[in-house]
Formats: sequence, structure tokens, C-alpha cells
Amino acid sequence: MSDRSDQVGEMPKSKIPPSMRRYFWRMGIFMTAYMVILIWGLSLKNSSNPPEGLFIYGLAILTALPMCGVFWTVFRLLVEMEDEYQRFLVAKQIMLATAITLCAATIWQFLNVYDLMTEGPQWFGVIWLVTFGIADGIVRWRA
Amino acid sequence: MKNRLKVLRAERDWSQADLAERLAVSRQSINAIETGKYDPSLPLAFKIADLFDMAIEEVFLND
Repeated sequence: MSDRSDQVGEMPKSKIPPSMRRYFWRMGIFMTAYMVILIWGLSLKNSSNPPEGLFIYGLAILTALPMCGVFWTVFRLLVEMEDEYQRFLVAKQIMLATAITLCAATIWQFLNVYDLMTEGPQWFGVIWLVTFGIADGIVRWRA
Repeated sequence: MKNRLKVLRAERDWSQADLAERLAVSRQSINAIETGKYDPSLPLAFKIADLFDMAIEEVFLND
């Protein structure tokens, strides 16, 4: 019987659980890296002697990698959260953000198919992050 | 799933925060369980029952 208590995550005395502390640290590191690489990359691209060939491919992928890290950070939070109810809320938040983003992508796709809109949103990673923030408010308001 | 958490807590004069601390969960978790918005996992349900020294079916009732 005593083993059962070990199966439920232990909540620390500190107000911020360790999983959230790790989340904020990781998010800060990846967002900082993203901004630094993006500014550096764009300044290179817009310079008088822009890079060419394989280097520009590498630069493009390098800029995308910190954003991939941001998504990894969000999903690690889901795995590491100590409190199962909070984990449930974050799971709902991820689902809602994904649904809103996919709806936006689908609507834009059909506007494009019917030649109503040739230019559309391309930064779906950033759109997902924004909707993730909006979904947080919606999920916790309804909780 | 219904539960007697609020009554059991009141009998011991515990606040939601007191119970949350004893169970190592957030106060929001206790509130969600009490109001029936969230059904706890089996490990947490057993932990709650153990805390009140009761069988799990004495705390949680099938609708």
C-alpha cells in the first residue's frame, strides 16, 4: 500500500514546480537562440554579399532548429508535469492550439485553391505558438 | 463519477489547499475533483482513499 503514494508525482514546497522551471529555462534558451540566429541570418541574407549554395541551406535549417526546440519544450512539459490535472489542461491546450492552427491552414488552402488568395500565412510554427497562448486562457477559463 | 471529497475534507476541517498539500497536488486539482470536472487517475484516487483511511469505493461513487 505504501508504494502507491510513490506513483503520484511529488509536489515541491516551492510555488513553481520543477517541470515549470525547466520549461521556462528551455523556452528562454530556445527563444533567445531563435532571435539571435534569425537576426544574424537575415542580416547576412540582406547584406551586399549574401551567402549562396549549401551555406544558405544550412542557415535556413539552423534558423528553424530553435523553433523545433520550442515545440520539444512544450511536449517535454506535458511529459514532466508533476500534477496530473495540470497535465490534462496542458494536453487540452495543445489540442486546441493544434486545431485552431490546422483550421487556419485548411481555410487558407481552399482560399488558395479557388484563387481567392495567393498570399497566405506561412509562419505556422509561430501561429501555433500564438494560438497555444490563446488556448491557455480559454482552457483555464473553462476549467 | 461522484465523490465525497468535500464532505470528508469538511469533517476534518481541511481547506482545499490543506488537502492539496497532503496529496502533493495543486489546489486547482482538488477543486476540479470536488466539482466533478475531473476524475483522478487510479493512483491518485488510491492516494486520496489512503489519506482518509477508507476504501476507494467509499470515497468515489459510480453515477
